[in-house]
Amino acid sequence: MSRIHAWGRAARLALADFRHDGRVSACLVLALAAVMTPLLVLFGLKSGMIFTLQQRLLADPTNLELVIVGSQRLSPDWVAALQGRADVGFAIGRSRSLSATIDLRAADGRSYPGMEMIPTAPGDPLLPKDAAAPSGHGVWLSTAAAQRLGVAAGAELSAQATRTVQGDIQAARFSLTVAGILPESAFARAAVFVPLDFLMATEDFRDGYAAPLLGVGGDSAGTAGERLYAGLRLYARDLDAVAPLAAFLRAQGMEVRTRAAEIDAVRAIDRVLGLIVSVLTGIGAAGFLLSLGASLWANIERKRRDLALLRLIGFPASAMALFPAVQGAMVAGLGGLLSGAVYLAVAAGFDAALGSGLAGNEFVCRLPLTDFLLALAGTILAALVAAWAASRRAVLIDPAESLRDV
Amino acid sequence: MSDDALLTLDDVTVERGGAGGFVLTIPAFSLKPGEIATVTGPSGSGKSTALDLFGLVLRPARAGNFRFSGRDAAASWRAGDEDSLAALRARAIGYILQTGGLLPFLSVRDNIGLSPSLLGRTAEPQRLDEMAGILGIASKLDRMPSALSIGERQRAAIARALAHRPALLLADEPTASLDPVNAEAVLALLLRLVRDLGAALILVSHDWDRARGLDATHYQAVPAPGGGRLVRVEAS
Repeated sequence: MSRIHAWGRAARLALADFRHDGRVSACLVLALAAVMTPLLVLFGLKSGMIFTLQQRLLADPTNLELVIVGSQRLSPDWVAALQGRADVGFAIGRSRSLSATIDLRAADGRSYPGMEMIPTAPGDPLLPKDAAAPSGHGVWLSTAAAQRLGVAAGAELSAQATRTVQGDIQAARFSLTVAGILPESAFARAAVFVPLDFLMATEDFRDGYAAPLLGVGGDSAGTAGERLYAGLRLYARDLDAVAPLAAFLRAQGMEVRTRAAEIDAVRAIDRVLGLIVSVLTGIGAAGFLLSLGASLWANIERKRRDLALLRLIGFPASAMALFPAVQGAMVAGLGGLLSGAVYLAVAAGFDAALGSGLAGNEFVCRLPLTDFLLALAGTILAALVAAWAASRRAVLIDPAESLRDV
Repeated sequence: MSDDALLTLDDVTVERGGAGGFVLTIPAFSLKPGEIATVTGPSGSGKSTALDLFGLVLRPARAGNFRFSGRDAAASWRAGDEDSLAALRARAIGYILQTGGLLPFLSVRDNIGLSPSLLGRTAEPQRLDEMAGILGIASKLDRMPSALSIGERQRAAIARALAHRPALLLADEPTASLDPVNAEAVLALLLRLVRDLGAALILVSHDWDRARGLDATHYQAVPAPGGGRLVRVEAS
């Protein structure tokens, strides 16, 4: 008779006793579910709320943006190095804002003089994810710009940039194609998103240099010297990358503005709610631990004669420890599954009642499966801890107790 | 003592209730395989204490010699090796208690199968049915113990104690909870099954008149200073 075999038999007997005492067992399972379900719902609400707030922050690229204040002199190499950083989502150089304007006119004559030009490239978080980046003379318009010009995607625009050379007003005229319109939420002002080369060519033209891209030949006033960007459009890879990236730029002597306050606010909410949930979980778990421990202890006291009989007919003392342990684990496992089921129903209710204002990937109540399985494992572990005292009591039961009515 | 004895005790004392409590002395006790012994005596004379000792659940305070089934039980007790004593109990001893002796959460069939299953033995359905038939509980095998009468429970407990073919059966007032007619019948069944099995039996009883009628070796627990002594007596 191996000890392992005896333990196996004892575990099966503990299950048989658990089933036989079905009403008592059901009460313990319900008691656990009563403690655990509200905690799961609370955790789900916290998790759903934080997840949704984070999704909203992420959905608005402005929250990832780092605005560099003032005019800089940034070399293409420096910008390229910045683009290579792991915490950078999108970076592109830009010209001086004074030269970043252009006059646009639609085919029907509606015009917008001095529209803001913004450089763009593949991966621009303001462009729709599947959008082909503008190239050549293809540009994107913000919604406001498209409305002012009365055009839609595919429309042709005539564009004009002007400069004054020695009192003489010169104009470069060319045509652009509207590749697409940005959603209003992406950019509020009227602006045209153009390839960087195009923007820099406009700056060169304004500065009196040749700008072949605009059809202005080199004969006018020589070519521009070393390329330097006066500014930068910069987006961090994710919310957590904003602060370190800003610190890096500030260390280089730049003044940087971010939406740190909004990000920190969500973090602070996460922290506070996390603390509240932990404290409530602690209180609930302690109460559950004590009540389950007491129930298992009382069960051992009630079953002393039965356990003594098992000892008498040759079960080793150690096998008796399995009685409360197996029964405690059953209470925890079944109670946990029951609360999981109730949680799903409650969460569905919350989402139905409160979820009307949420986007598709947002939740009122959210409990990832791995978190639930962790909670379940933790509960079973707690039940085994609660069974500890009862187990110690059980192994001390004297087989002689079964021989007489004590 | 002869080498072929199943159970041998020489100069063994056992204490109950700690130092200054009840002390039972057993100068000499021997039981051969298949032999029946009775232990009688008034209440409080130490009968049950003797049975606890024989049943390997009560530690002897002193043991000149205490051997069971070829093992040195005294040495196991001294070494504190309770697991090997438990294993010995599981293999070689069957217990019939005054009442109870069945687990309320198992069917009668599973109760009877408890010791064989602990020993990892395969079920012997034929033997179980035969025993149940002899004991008159064949129709109750799939009931829970609470659905049985007291007499039926005691019969089921006898089947449970014998299911694993123990070499020694210990019976503590096995008929005390039954009415006289039932008691007579159950005792007769018990003796028959023990004889069929070839097991040895130690029967504890307060009823000397009934015990002396059995073909057995008789012991009596008699009061002694500070406790009692277990001495051999003749039936005549």
